[in-house]
Amino acid sequence: MFPGIYGFAWDAGHIIFLGVFYTVVAVVVTTLVRAAVRARADVKAGRIEELRWHAAFAELPSSSRRCRHELSGEVADRACENRFDCRDCAAHAEFVAKRSAAVRALPGGQTVAGFELPAGRLYHRGHTWVAEAPGGTLWVGLDDLGAHLVGAPDELDLPPVGARLAGNGTAWRVRKNGISIRVLAPVDGEVVAVGGPDLGWYLRILPDGGEPDVRNLLSAAEARPWLLREVERMQIALADEAVGAALADGGAPVEDLSKVISPRELDEVCGMVFLEP
Amino acid sequence: MDDALILRGARRCSAGKFLAWLAPWAALLGVGGFAILQCLVRGLNQTNMDNRFAFGLWIFLDLTVIALGAGAFFTGFLLYILRREELRAVINSAVVIGFICYSGAILVLMVDVGQPLRAWFTFWHPNVHSMLTEVTFCITCYLTVLAIEYLPILLKNRQLRKIPSFLVFEFELHKVMPVFAAVGAFLSFFHQGSLGGLYGVLRGRPFAFREGISIWPSTFFLFIVSAVATGPAFVLLTTWLVSKLSGKRLVKPEVFELLGRISGWLLVFYVGLKSLDTLVWLNRTAPGVGANPGQFFAAQPFGIWMLFVEIVLFGAAPALIFLSRRGRAGTGWLLAASFLACAGVATNRLVMTIQTLVVPTLKFEPYALYWPSWQEVATFLAVIAYGVILYSLSFRYLRLFPQERELQRG
Repeated sequence: MFPGIYGFAWDAGHIIFLGVFYTVVAVVVTTLVRAAVRARADVKAGRIEELRWHAAFAELPSSSRRCRHELSGEVADRACENRFDCRDCAAHAEFVAKRSAAVRALPGGQTVAGFELPAGRLYHRGHTWVAEAPGGTLWVGLDDLGAHLVGAPDELDLPPVGARLAGNGTAWRVRKNGISIRVLAPVDGEVVAVGGPDLGWYLRILPDGGEPDVRNLLSAAEARPWLLREVERMQIALADEAVGAALADGGAPVEDLSKVISPRELDEVCGMVFLEP
Repeated sequence: MDDALILRGARRCSAGKFLAWLAPWAALLGVGGFAILQCLVRGLNQTNMDNRFAFGLWIFLDLTVIALGAGAFFTGFLLYILRREELRAVINSAVVIGFICYSGAILVLMVDVGQPLRAWFTFWHPNVHSMLTEVTFCITCYLTVLAIEYLPILLKNRQLRKIPSFLVFEFELHKVMPVFAAVGAFLSFFHQGSLGGLYGVLRGRPFAFREGISIWPSTFFLFIVSAVATGPAFVLLTTWLVSKLSGKRLVKPEVFELLGRISGWLLVFYVGLKSLDTLVWLNRTAPGVGANPGQFFAAQPFGIWMLFVEIVLFGAAPALIFLSRRGRAGTGWLLAASFLACAGVATNRLVMTIQTLVVPTLKFEPYALYWPSWQEVATFLAVIAYGVILYSLSFRYLRLFPQERELQRG
């Protein structure tokens, strides 16, 4: 094994065999240690939320990762490779520049499959909305589908005033029927006030740099086809296995979905809707 | 009861039903544990191995599971090095299967070699001229690599991933997986070969002895090719089996089709090599060492039919099914071909391990048959039970098939 140990000899057999063996061991150990060191550096640099979203996005099924421009009909088939962060996406800028008049004229606001979609708000793919608030701040709340799903939360874990939020990081947590749900932050910024479902908004945020970068958010017009798709996916996920996929052709959604579906179904649908696989 | 551990969106049976499924396997593991204890405490006299049959059921099991476990390294190689992204659908399952196969093989080797507390001796005073030393080093290293590859799958468990340092470590480990895939491929390539080479260099056993290239007999290459050819077929077979037992669609049909096609082409290559090797062995190698090839197949039940079964029925037939478009399109045909291919590699390892020793090497020696003792069989079954239990736990609590949730939603 080593020079000086009984049985070792400085011959070709020992040098080649043990040389290869030590090289393999060195590669394995170095790679493992490197991963551990980088993980430690990530924790120290506060990248946990960023990596949590990175890992979660990678695990989303392809039906959850469709590009916003596919949903608005600007492209036939395109999966997002940018973790829903259009700020770093070169293709997004091209799509916006080429956007046709028909797409620009899409109606905004109103109701989609029974869910309210007010104009004047911007929507995040994790079912939060952002609206302008006084003093250069932003209101952040759950959209109507998210609110119907969670209903009245059993427990709400909001960040304290002064906490910093990273876009696509955890904004707050909700507990409902024993299930923990993570809600994604739509923008980067500092929490200046906290609200709750009764107030209609959850957080008030002062965006980083004063001016919010909202290129990753959907306008109400863009949000319409997206929300319709989300409702369809939710209905398919909740369909009776014996019946198979089925879509409602009328009616209105119940106020608190968590009361009429099982905890297992709620857990599954919340994972899908709030992008936490 | 254990809902908090089950992945979001994964539909699993109740905890009671799951425990009822595990119970008989745990009982089998218990009986096997008792047999292992007997062998370790009392020695190999608890087995039916003797000076003639120094290799028995356990070595056959080792060689077979290591060949079938090749699906892990080969799938990793195809995915991370050759970028066949379709195989991401089965890579986690292949890694778990590989880990089970290799850890099971090492468990049995520990009983077979005995004195596990002195295992370090092999590493401290290695005989670098022995094929077995290379096998020992490679298998130990590769099991370590498989354990590292298993780690990110484990850390993705619903509760474990809540721990921030685990989440980040899993993320960083995932980024360096191609390095481990490459190291795994290198190690597997050599130890599969050395296991074959071990037989090929047995000059005193003309049934196994082969010529080759430099220090490597032909069996070195045949073991590598047969393992990589059947590894994907075994991944296909186990995926289908898990799908049937759980009542869920786990991967898209295209993945089965791709695994079948890979196995098919490699099997064609293997059958060609094996046929050539057999012809050279029967007509040149065996007569060259004074053996009459006809004698090799004189002992029942190891007649000439065994050669036909191994090469034609378990080799050429599955290769043709895999390569025919119609064969790959039908699940029944794909499964039949996968089963035949896996049976083929098991037959080859049985022939090399047992038939090699059945054939006498001296004129006055009789043909001898070997039947394993109950301790050997119980240990064998314990490894199967260990594999089923570990795989069942992994399937229930970890994400082995990333496409599962999407497929279950139709």
